[in-house]
Amino acid sequence: MACLFVPDLPAAAEVRAHPELAGLPLAIVSEWGPRATVLSVSPAAARAGVHRGSALAHARSVCAKLCVRVASPARERAGRDALLDVALSASPRAEPAPSCGGGRAGEAAVHIDVSMPAAPLRSEAGLATALAARARALALPAVAAVAGSRPLAELAARCTAEREGPGGSCVIPAGGEAAFLAPLPVDLLDLDDAAAELLTRFGIRRLGPLLELGGQSSWSRLAARLGPELVGLLARLRGEGVEPPIAAAHDRRIEESLDFEAPIDNLEPLGFALRGLLTRFLARLALRHLACGEIEVELRAGAARDRRRLALAAPTGDPRVWLRRLRQALECEPPSAPVDFVRLAAEGCPPRRDQLDLFRPPGPAPAALGALLAELEVLCGPERVGAPRVADDHRPDAAAMARFDPTRRASAGEAPQAGDAVLALRALRPPLPAEVRLCAGRPVWIRSAVANGEVVHSAGPWRTTGGWWSEGQRFAFDAFDVATSDGLLVRLRYDHLRRIWEIDALYD
Amino acid sequence: MVAPRAGSLTRSALGEFPPNPTIIHPLVRLGGLSEAPARLPTGLDPVDRLLEGGFPRGRLSEISGPVSSGRTSLALALAAAATRAGEVAAWLDVANAFDPASAQAAGIDLDRLLWIRDSRLREALEGAERLLAAQGFVLVVLDLCRGVEPGAARALGTPTWLRLARAAAASGTALVVLGRDRFVGSHAALAVDLRATRLRFATSPEWLEGLETRVVLARHRLGSAEGFAPVHWKVPPLARGMPLRAGSACGGGGASAS
Repeated sequence: MACLFVPDLPAAAEVRAHPELAGLPLAIVSEWGPRATVLSVSPAAARAGVHRGSALAHARSVCAKLCVRVASPARERAGRDALLDVALSASPRAEPAPSCGGGRAGEAAVHIDVSMPAAPLRSEAGLATALAARARALALPAVAAVAGSRPLAELAARCTAEREGPGGSCVIPAGGEAAFLAPLPVDLLDLDDAAAELLTRFGIRRLGPLLELGGQSSWSRLAARLGPELVGLLARLRGEGVEPPIAAAHDRRIEESLDFEAPIDNLEPLGFALRGLLTRFLARLALRHLACGEIEVELRAGAARDRRRLALAAPTGDPRVWLRRLRQALECEPPSAPVDFVRLAAEGCPPRRDQLDLFRPPGPAPAALGALLAELEVLCGPERVGAPRVADDHRPDAAAMARFDPTRRASAGEAPQAGDAVLALRALRPPLPAEVRLCAGRPVWIRSAVANGEVVHSAGPWRTTGGWWSEGQRFAFDAFDVATSDGLLVRLRYDHLRRIWEIDALYD
Repeated sequence: MVAPRAGSLTRSALGEFPPNPTIIHPLVRLGGLSEAPARLPTGLDPVDRLLEGGFPRGRLSEISGPVSSGRTSLALALAAAATRAGEVAAWLDVANAFDPASAQAAGIDLDRLLWIRDSRLREALEGAERLLAAQGFVLVVLDLCRGVEPGAARALGTPTWLRLARAAAASGTALVVLGRDRFVGSHAALAVDLRATRLRFATSPEWLEGLETRVVLARHRLGSAEGFAPVHWKVPPLARGMPLRAGSACGGGGASAS
């Protein structure tokens, strides 16, 4: 079992959201006002003499440079989730430890079953060091410990945090439990009042004598005096108890939120705040080797909620691409009121795998193509990037677009014979209006933005009608292929519904 | 006495190439003075003969000509040859004029063509750079025929084309700029100019048969810049059926409409 432990999560979560506070004396308080109490402190504030539970006025008197922030449940939740993500990067069997009350309310711990790790491990010490380093990469000052049982690993992590500070790691080898536990005070066990009083009366202040007591007498007799819970805990600390299994986590949903002290009414500062939020969000996804193709964005302005879904052609974890997409969405449709809360959520999915065809030219790598398509969609707009399709429609100017996937089987129609040169059309979208003179029902003269002058050749008309079942889709055209005296070859059509002439395509 | 080859002259003028193969002299990257690049054929024999195998890969090329000269048809033929060989191509359509039906009739595998439509010039240029940087696209067509003011395209200047030419050289992609005029200038390794020579209309029934054009080699940095190739473009047999009887359409009569 391993334990990932953060001693002061509210302060750590605040520093994670605001990296400029790193290294400064910081206190998280319950509220603004004269009755505010300190809930959590940063290591710098603790060194300056600020303690949890003290009044804010007292804390300010102890440390004049103290930075004070009000506790934010959103940031704290994001910090806890990020800690769990670090644990899940090592093993799918991880769960948050039950939260403590009282003086340990700010602590956060995650238990990890490392008997079946996600990747082969070099050693237990390497795992503990890697866990602490991954947490540091997510701006969480965590301590990691590996031991035979959950309570022992948590105890080891707590002791390491006090001894070495953030980033430390510790391994309790099998058989070394008693030596590790012997000098520790019994207060670390979080005993209830009755058990604590009993041990005081026995004169037991350290775990060593308590464990020896259990060893000399039978556990059942000890259980009668101290209670079965404490005896069970002692057995697990000695590595003799049965560890309940941890279920594998299959949830790939990631959420990250941020609330502002003052509402933001300008896109520029909002974009700045979103950059940090998005970077933290995608770093968590990357830690679990996931990407995302769709992000749910919630902007809150007071009671009003603005929910949007932003999608890309292919899953990517590139913060630049997502930030651009987010900015594009906000610029197209700005929030209606100043924003005081932002939440990002996404279902993580594995990035595309590079499985290429043995018998075809390689083409772009699937993962790189996904990122490229996402970038192009952000650059030009999602509706403008894709593979062309011949629309299933009789309208002469119909065109469609599908998702670009070059690995799909070839859908080309009849290929022209080798050496055949096919004259192509260039569509004019929208068609250009034209002034036309007719003679015996045929165009003899044109004036338009592209073609002007006498008609030297013409062929047609070809009538195309359709969409008669719908008022908005109805069309009826008579089309001519027309060569004009200025050297152009155009497709000219008469729109029977609007009674106008227009040029809808050029031969080129 | 044997005359020195062009490549050896270049080497003597520039000095020996550095031993590190990753360091390539800018002139080599841009102009291909000493190394013959692979060619991307158009599938049209006269044009491929004229271009000594097709459009060069890893180079910036240019197709220009007036409207109805066959320039789009030539670019589509190039894309068709590439996609039918299993390669992947991209078409940056600034004018939003790409016609999927024509592309399919030309033989393009539409699944292997990335179409970026109706983008602004700046977006198209940035998109082209990203496509070139992504590697794996054998052909990128930058269609600037309509939707771009000729002045705006000319004003792009040396840095833009230089950057694109370098990106094409690094990726081995044939970058083809399609336009009314030649505005890439000396940065193009190859430039062809198209001119219509004759229209072909059948008389009974009245039918546009095709267009005869001349593909003129205007610039060829990799070979001799002389010659032209006649190409007869045929209108694909679209499902149009027989035309209506003249006079039965458009409200009949000889009235003018506008």
